[in-house]
Order: sequence, then C-alpha cells, then structure tokens
Amino acid sequence: MRLKVRAYVGWLLVTVMALGVALPAAAQERGITPTEIILGTSAPLSGPAAPWGATARGAEAYIQYINEQGGIHGRTIRFVILDDAYQPPRAVQNVRALVEGTGVFALVGMIGSANAAATRDYIFRNEVVWMTPAVESDPWIGNPNIRYLFVTYPNYYQEAKVLTRYAVEELGLRRIAVIYQNDQYGDNGRRGVIDALAEMGMEPVAAVPYELTDADLSVQALLIGQAQADAVILYATPTHGAMAAAALAQLNPKPQILSSFTLADPIMAALAGEAWNGVIVPSYFPYPDHDEKVARVLEIILERNPDLAQMSFNALAGVTFLEPLLEGLRRAGPDVTKESFVAAMESIQDWDGELLRGISFGPGRRQGLNRIFLARMVNGKPEPLTDWIVYPVEF
Amino acid sequence: MFFWQLVLSGLSIGSLYAVVGLGIVLLYRTSRVLNFAHGDLAMVTTMIAYSLLTSAGVVFAGSVALTLLAAFALGSLFYFIVIRPVKEATLLGQIITTAGFALVLGGAAVVIWGAGTKALPFPLSRFRFYDVFGLRIDQLTIGSFIVSVITMLLLYLLVQKTKFGLAMRAVSQNDAAARVLGIPVRRVYAVTWGVSAVLGAIGGLLLAPVTFVSPTMMFDPFLKGFAAAVLGGLDSLPGVIIGGVILGVVENVFGGYVSTAFKSTVAFVMIIAVLLVRPEGLLGRKFQRRV
Repeated sequence: MRLKVRAYVGWLLVTVMALGVALPAAAQERGITPTEIILGTSAPLSGPAAPWGATARGAEAYIQYINEQGGIHGRTIRFVILDDAYQPPRAVQNVRALVEGTGVFALVGMIGSANAAATRDYIFRNEVVWMTPAVESDPWIGNPNIRYLFVTYPNYYQEAKVLTRYAVEELGLRRIAVIYQNDQYGDNGRRGVIDALAEMGMEPVAAVPYELTDADLSVQALLIGQAQADAVILYATPTHGAMAAAALAQLNPKPQILSSFTLADPIMAALAGEAWNGVIVPSYFPYPDHDEKVARVLEIILERNPDLAQMSFNALAGVTFLEPLLEGLRRAGPDVTKESFVAAMESIQDWDGELLRGISFGPGRRQGLNRIFLARMVNGKPEPLTDWIVYPVEF
Repeated sequence: MFFWQLVLSGLSIGSLYAVVGLGIVLLYRTSRVLNFAHGDLAMVTTMIAYSLLTSAGVVFAGSVALTLLAAFALGSLFYFIVIRPVKEATLLGQIITTAGFALVLGGAAVVIWGAGTKALPFPLSRFRFYDVFGLRIDQLTIGSFIVSVITMLLLYLLVQKTKFGLAMRAVSQNDAAARVLGIPVRRVYAVTWGVSAVLGAIGGLLLAPVTFVSPTMMFDPFLKGFAAAVLGGLDSLPGVIIGGVILGVVENVFGGYVSTAFKSTVAFVMIIAVLLVRPEGLLGRKFQRRV
C-alpha cells in the first residue's frame, strides 16, 4: 500500500515536473500568455499624416469587438498603440518599446516609408511577426529576411501602372502627367507611370513633384495646364491630394484625375468638394456601400468609435492590416507559437475575410494580395468601374 | 500667359504671407519679441471658426466676428498671463516662452479638435472663375486679395493716424520714456498682442480654403510670413508687404520655370542674398540704440 502511494506520488511529481517544463516553454513565446495575445503598433496619431492614424484606431475598435466575442481560442487580444507623429526616430523608439518593453507577439501595420525603413532591420533581426507595413513593396522584393512578414497592401508601383494603362487603353487619353510627393511613396507612383507609358511607347507630358511642407499646389497645377495633360495621376497625402485636385479644377480643359488608393477615403470629397467629382480611385477591398460584410465591419467599428465615421476607409484599412493575423491565430490553434503561426499563415490560400478577398500566402510567398479594382467618385460615393485587375506577385 | 498666371497666383499667396507677416512685425516693432506662437495662434483661432461654423451653426459673418474677438482675447491674455510675468527674463527668454506657447497650442488643438484635416465652410468658391485678358481668376483669390488689402489699410490707419498708433510707436522707441509721459505701456503691449493675433487669425481664415484646417496648417505659411518679414525688414510694416509679395511671386515663377521641388528653398536663398547686402531687410532701418 505504502509502495503504491509512493508510486502515485512519484508519478505525480514526474507529471508536475513535466508540466513545469512544458508551461514555461509555452509562456516563453513573447506576447502569448495563457489569457492574452499582445499586439502593438506605432502610428501617426498626430502630425501631418494624422488622418492615416485612423488605421490604428480602426484596428483597435475591431479588436474590442473580437474580445467581446470571446477572443481567439480563449485568449483576449491586447493592442498597444504608440504615437510616432510620422517621425522615424519616434517610430524606432516605439518599436523597441513594444518588442522589449511590452513584449508583443506581432506588430500590426506601420505608416510611412521612412518609418518602416528606420525600423525594419531591428524588426527582422529580432524576428518579430510584422503584419502589413503600409508602404511600397520594393524593400521586400528579393529580401531574404521576410520570413515573419506578411503583407496585404497594394504595391504602389504596380498600382500606378494599372492606373496609367487604364487612362490610355480604356479612357483613350494620350497626354498623361503625374503629380507626386517627393519621397519613396511618390517616387514609386512616378516610376510606375513612366514605366507603363514606356511599355506603350509613350512618355509622361509632365512629372511634377511637391514637398510635404507645401501649403499651396497651384504652381503644380499650372505646370499640368502648361503641358496640356488630359490625365493626371496623383500620389499625395490626403491634404495635398485635395489641394492638388482643387487647383487642377481651375484648368481649362480640366484633366481627368486618377489617384492612388491611399486617397480612397470619403474625407477627400469633404476636403476637395466638387473638385473630387469624377476622380478615379482604386481599392483593394470592396466599399461598404457595395458589400454587406464590409458594411457590417464598418458598423462594428463605428459603434465602438464613432469619431472614425469621418475617415471610414482609413479605419477599415486598419482592419485589413489585422484580419489575416486573426485568421492565422485561429488556424494555429490554442497552442500557438511563432513557428506554428507562420505555418498557419502559409496555409492561407485564396481566403476571403470580412474585408479582404482572395488572399494567398505560402512558403516563400509573403505578398498576400495582388489585385485592385477601380471606382469613380461621384458626389463622394464610389461607383465601381472595373472587376479585379491582377498584377504580378513579386515577393 | 503661363508667366502671368504664375505671377497672379504668386501675388495671391504672397498677400497672405504678408498678412501673416504683418502680425509678426507689428509685435516685433513694439516689443522686440519675435512671436513663434504666431502661426499656432492663427491655427487655433481658425479651429474656433471651424467649430462656430459647423457645430455651433453660427452664420459666416458672425463666426468671423467672434473668431477675431477670440483672437484678440487670446493674444492679449497671453501677454498678461505669460509674457508680463516673465518680463524680467531676457529677450531671448521671452522668445523661447512664445515657442513653448506654440507647443501648448498645437497640443491643445489636437486634444480638442483632433489631428485630422477638415474643410472650413467658406462663402467664396475656388470653382467659380472669371477669365480676364486670358487670365483665369477665381472668386476666392479675388476675395482674399481684397480682404488682405483692406486689412493692410486698416492697420496703416491704426498705426499712423490714431493716438493709439502714436502710443505704440512711442513705446517701441523707448518704453521707459513713454511710461514717464503717462502712456499706459502695459495696455499698449496687450492691445498690440491682441491686434497681432487678429492679423494671424485673418491670415488663417483666408488660408483655410486653400490649406484646409488642421493642427499643422500654419506651419508653412508661418515660416513664409516670417521670411517675408525678414526680407522686408523686421521693423517695417510696408516692408513685410513687399517682402510677402516678392516671396510669393519669386517662388511661383521659380517653381513654374525651374523646379517645384526647390520652390521653397529658392525663397530662403533669396532672403540670404538680400540680407548679405542689406542686413536690415529691404525697407528696414538700421537698429541703433541711443546711449
């Protein structure tokens, strides 16, 4: 009898020890606790790109909803947002604080090419899961360090090519110009326009830059008029996009504006007024007016943060940064580790989320999205013009 | 025609730089304080106008009147609450205080109105044009040009033709002597701060339809207004007007014919060139202190 008891105690001890070894191993995965998954982002909540800070607020509101539904496999999600005011030094500080201080499982988004460039080496070196930095695709193409990076953000360069071809082939316009922000974002747009035109044996009639600090774009518009452009492709911040559209509306004849999807937000019509009428803008997920699931998500985030109504496209874009990560966590099951999460993400094939559609990752594929569609803005409302337009997968 | 269209739009934006610069110069002439919060004061008052026009639903004329009143109050309040108590500080100390005030205003604006960009409802349209001698002029440009000129005239009358203007000039020349002569120096300073803020508010309101309303809206216009003041002479009111107009026209013509990327840079290069030849600015007087 006594022996039996000893044997039991012995087994118990072994079990406890085994558990003791197993539990810390699970707890050691940064950002995953028995009750929580910790995510973080650095976003421009203030400064010149503040309207894009709505992406983080949109994601935050959606996470609140996911938590109200019980979280994922019993864990709730904690989302830490730090303000970088669109400044790279602050983004670097924020990312270090999130990884080393807060201890996040993943970083969600990151607005601004310069911010992403300043932080990416650190993120890659520390092998942090990084969902959709909202920047151009060049840094990822051919990069061997992107095992933990997953992107469902359109490629500016390919988007500019799509817009240019549409202007020439579908609208029959021959004199194409581009107004672009003088940085990596704008330069991707400029190169896309030049390359697409070159493939058709053409050249832009004008390529006019502006600076982020410019408070008036009437000179740029006059140059477009001087070049007699009949289409202008626009790569700008929301504020400068509206300034450019208002200044271009004074030209006679008025050129057709085609803008980057970064200006798809309804706030553009509020800012530029009638100058935004007729502008052609791409999107990479359906508009709430044309899709019930998207409308439902918008309703969910507006119920939790009514201030986002002004910037609904940006707020929804924030949810698109997050959505594939939530799916990956669901697929990875309750015993999620970073590696099982990567395997789960790689199993996502032609997947439809609430907002994103047709998303595919895989071993060696980190560009989850390679298509956009175009819409024409009429009185602030988008009217879809095309079906999905597919462009090549590059990373 | 392209050239004249560039000149025209340069005149229009230059006159707004001048209005912003006038506020800086007026204060500098009287108190020798360079107000780095001038742009942010203008931004906050434009935000107030935005709230009056949208949330409060006040008519445009009423909103403008209330906004200018609020600007005057904010400007003179800042003098009484902050600048007056630090009067023992050096001039540099007072200037740094205004820079701190700028940060406070910028932060407060983000907290109260949010960091997003907004459109100010404005009665004049950029989309209604008149074609005159082959040049295209919109309603907003005409309107803001007229308002700028009227503002400048009123300021001229205030400074040159009123007793208060005389007091301002007396204080600027020698504030101890002015005090001995019975001029209420503190009141003169407070009113000068108020009027300067009103000039900023007018600039902000006229710029708002072009730059839109946001916490960063006055960043570039303030720099340009400041540049116009330095170019024209920091203590000369006509100087800042000429400086603003030259700045607007030169940067537009340069942007049109050479490069839009270096449009702002050329304005500052020009200022350096002018200051090398005339350190006191185009119309400024050499600053001489009597011993």
